[in-house]
Amino acid sequence: MNRVLGDKRAILLLLGPALLVYSVVMLMPMLWSLGYTLFSGSVVTGFTWVGLDNFQKLFTDPAAREALLFTLKYAVVITIGQVTVGYGLALLYVFFLRKASATIRTLVFFPVVLPTVAVSLLFQKFFEFAPQTGPVNALLEAVGLHAVDWFGTAGTAFWVIALMDIWRSMGFYAVLLYAGLVDVPDELLESARLDGAAGWRLVRSIVLPLSLPVLVSSIIFSINGTLKVFDSIYALTGGGPGSGTTPLTLLMYRTSFFYGDYGYGSTIALALTILCLIVTLFIFRANRRDLTQD
Amino acid sequence: MTTLTRTNPVTTANPTRPGRARKRLRRIPLYAGVTVLLVVMVYPLLWLLLGSFKTQDEFLNNPTWSLPDSFANFSNYAEAWSSIALYLRNSILAVFPALALVIVLGTAAGYALEVMVFRGRGGVLLLFLAGIMIPGQMILLPLFTVYFKLHLTSTLWPLIITYTAIGLPLTVFMMATYFRSIPREVFEASTLDGASAIRSFWSIGFPMMRNAVFTIALVQFFFLWNDLLIALTFTTQDYLRTVQVGLLNFTGQFGAVDYGPTFAAICINMFIVLVLYIFLNQRVMRGLAAGAVKG
Amino acid sequence: MNSMLKRRRTLLVGALGLSATLALAACSGSDSGSSGKSSDGGSGKSASKLSFLAINENETIPTTLTTLSKDECKAQDAAQPLEITKQAQSTLDQQLQLLAGQDALPQLFISANAPSLNAQLAEQGTLQDAGEALKTLGISDSVLPAATSVIENLYDGKQLVLPTELNIEGIWYNKKILADNGIEVPATWTELTDAFAKLKAAGIQPISQAGKGGDGWGVTRWVGNYIARDLGATALQDVRDGKAKLTDSEYVKAADAIADLGKQGYFGQSPTSIDYTTALNTFLTGDAAFIYMGSWAVSNFSDETQNKVGADNIGFMHFPAVDGGKGSADQMPANVGTAVAISAKGFKDTATQDWVKCIAANYGTVALRDSGQVTGFEVSGDTNVAPLSQLVQDEIGKTKESILWFEAYFSPQATTTSQNDGGLLGSGQLSGEEFMKQVQASLGS
Repeated sequence: MNRVLGDKRAILLLLGPALLVYSVVMLMPMLWSLGYTLFSGSVVTGFTWVGLDNFQKLFTDPAAREALLFTLKYAVVITIGQVTVGYGLALLYVFFLRKASATIRTLVFFPVVLPTVAVSLLFQKFFEFAPQTGPVNALLEAVGLHAVDWFGTAGTAFWVIALMDIWRSMGFYAVLLYAGLVDVPDELLESARLDGAAGWRLVRSIVLPLSLPVLVSSIIFSINGTLKVFDSIYALTGGGPGSGTTPLTLLMYRTSFFYGDYGYGSTIALALTILCLIVTLFIFRANRRDLTQD
Repeated sequence: MTTLTRTNPVTTANPTRPGRARKRLRRIPLYAGVTVLLVVMVYPLLWLLLGSFKTQDEFLNNPTWSLPDSFANFSNYAEAWSSIALYLRNSILAVFPALALVIVLGTAAGYALEVMVFRGRGGVLLLFLAGIMIPGQMILLPLFTVYFKLHLTSTLWPLIITYTAIGLPLTVFMMATYFRSIPREVFEASTLDGASAIRSFWSIGFPMMRNAVFTIALVQFFFLWNDLLIALTFTTQDYLRTVQVGLLNFTGQFGAVDYGPTFAAICINMFIVLVLYIFLNQRVMRGLAAGAVKG
Repeated sequence: MNSMLKRRRTLLVGALGLSATLALAACSGSDSGSSGKSSDGGSGKSASKLSFLAINENETIPTTLTTLSKDECKAQDAAQPLEITKQAQSTLDQQLQLLAGQDALPQLFISANAPSLNAQLAEQGTLQDAGEALKTLGISDSVLPAATSVIENLYDGKQLVLPTELNIEGIWYNKKILADNGIEVPATWTELTDAFAKLKAAGIQPISQAGKGGDGWGVTRWVGNYIARDLGATALQDVRDGKAKLTDSEYVKAADAIADLGKQGYFGQSPTSIDYTTALNTFLTGDAAFIYMGSWAVSNFSDETQNKVGADNIGFMHFPAVDGGKGSADQMPANVGTAVAISAKGFKDTATQDWVKCIAANYGTVALRDSGQVTGFEVSGDTNVAPLSQLVQDEIGKTKESILWFEAYFSPQATTTSQNDGGLLGSGQLSGEEFMKQVQASLGS
């Protein structure tokens, strides 16, 4: 092997700083957080050893259960929504718009780069019920329906969150899946067309199977992101009304910083990490499959 | 992901003439669909823009979809700018140094992990990978304590440091992937010329990566610029607020009833992102998509 | 060689650029650090600024302090210029915990929403016992005995905060709307609900009350007062002491009474979308007949730009007695509302001590004169008092027994739960039982 490329000092110089920053700022706090799970209290009140009480609490706490269920519901609905709409858009780009798709792609992608808080405030006003009537409710009233108090109940608030997050990110998934669809060989499509396959049948029998790997990646990526959702909900509903739209991340944040219980907050964060870990393992497996199929 | 650059992959045979009119007819629902899509994407943004020119009186007395009385009413912008300017400054001062550090450290580490030869590099790469899945919440509390003990709170350093660390895993991983795509002979040849490993990184590795560096920088920029969680936790003082945290506080400050300045503040932020996006949209899309798949 | 040189130069330029950005960041760091250090008072040297952490929802305190800094406390302001930062009330407690955790509380700050947090901070040693502070400065008599007793009632005999407000709470009504609809000022709960029904039937929103996020306290005040009227003044103390639970049927009954108001739509069409400012605005523009509010809002009532119905059109009634209840309508909900606390670290600084001395001596007079705000400070000289402020002063004078609000003894967690769920109670989505169950769960045990 090349001696220069094995130079220990050079390796240290190149890799060292990044590894150091990463270990000190991410890995160590991660382990430290694990330690917190065995205590209760905060910097203000001081810490007391509670053993496994926090874990016991996690399993019996109705607020934690509610938040976990909300997180899962949110992750599943949003993932399905993002990927389905994104896939539909990608099909639209590739098969129908073709050359004209660049402009629309650009336009639909734009919200992806907007600050989440800006988008949340926009949707807050857009779906406003009182004291002002937002455009959505104005439209409902204009066509003779009753205005809906969107943020008044957890059920309707959830749909606004879902709508917003899909609106915000569908352009992203469309581009991601578009890249996968573009990879589908032309000849294959051509021969299928000659065999008389068209429209939906073409998609189902040729396009879908061929774009499966990138579709799987998108789904898993989306789940991983939606499990960690924080910004959009924090800014849109603040977890309300009541605690009706509170995901695990927000519960953790509240528990630690509002209620001053770092120990239990860390326990919730750990639960979330484990949830993400399981999903990430899937990513690896999907990626590996992805590679072997290429 | 490289295939994305191909403009139009699927070319169908030219339709025969008689079928053409029918085909056009069949396409009507498609056009309708695209129109709906455009309205859904554009109208909320347009409504926001219109709102930013309205006075409080117009908000209260005119229907919500009406046009503003005057497009030259910039008073909302003036009011919003007085606080947004500070938030922008903070965001810039926190994000750009972090971005520079992420790129330099990340590229070097990616180079070391992919080009250099040593035992345990697979393990180190995996260690970085683990960082991609750690939720931000998991590291907040200890970092908070440490920053306090180091007397760093009430500066922007906590943001710069945390952003750097958070940005590293993905950057290292993507850089390693990019370096993998360059034939090893290139680096081996350069070392035969007597260049040290460090020099061959700076003179060959880094320049070759110019495109990749740019793309990753763009991806990381949007991640960091749009961060809320970290900024919310570590900016304990008003004058340190970043754009996201500042916007969040904006409605409170002006009261939920005072719409104009809030709309203007959101618009200012949209304009800034829009300018960047218009010039770089192809790269942004490609970069984010690539980052996603690798991540 | 040449190209190598060039490369070196670009490298150098790059490195310079990098260090420049870093230096810039460092610059901003130290630059903001200097004002940050204002809270670093304790280390012998005087802090360069007097930082005061205010909340968006309260204008009176920053305004009064600013006025003081230009006049009565000019000398103090020259030695340590006043600097005000603002914060949403709903995130105040979180902010205080974070700052206290770093021993970085500003010298003066609005005390936490949850009194239990103030007590914690005092125990931790970051919050200065204001009573002790005034004693040290030899000006204990600048605080009215009534205010002292309200504060001590709340903090187990300690006077932890400065009474920048001394409030009574009750139901304010629009005289004209009541007269137009032939309604006498209600004296009992039944009369009150009858009035609501009549107004609702006439197409008028009976009560304006906020229920958005943390502003839900507007609704939970109704619950607390109903409990006090029905079960007696010590009912909530019993909950704190573990003698009773909120889920006990007599407590649930109170929450149900309020949930019922919600179900009837008396709180307006969507209390969960209404924040504090909007609720106040609705009442002051004559769009609602009643509002439950503390007397701190008198400054808003006296402000003609906000008050479109006219100050003399606003009346005040005690929260009415509940038929067969143990409490009486004379037991007045009283508190020091948005009070100001001093940080222990800041108080070690003599410049800050001078400030506190000046505030204690002049705040009451200026707040009453300029904002019509009744405070717990002694007022010097004759001040022309607006009728509504006079009314508040009279009511305070008449008060024999005061009671606290619903969340007064709650932990921050239970306070958050209660206030967040308050909106749902007011919109009729949550039954009294569910509400009490959730709050009790947050209280623990």
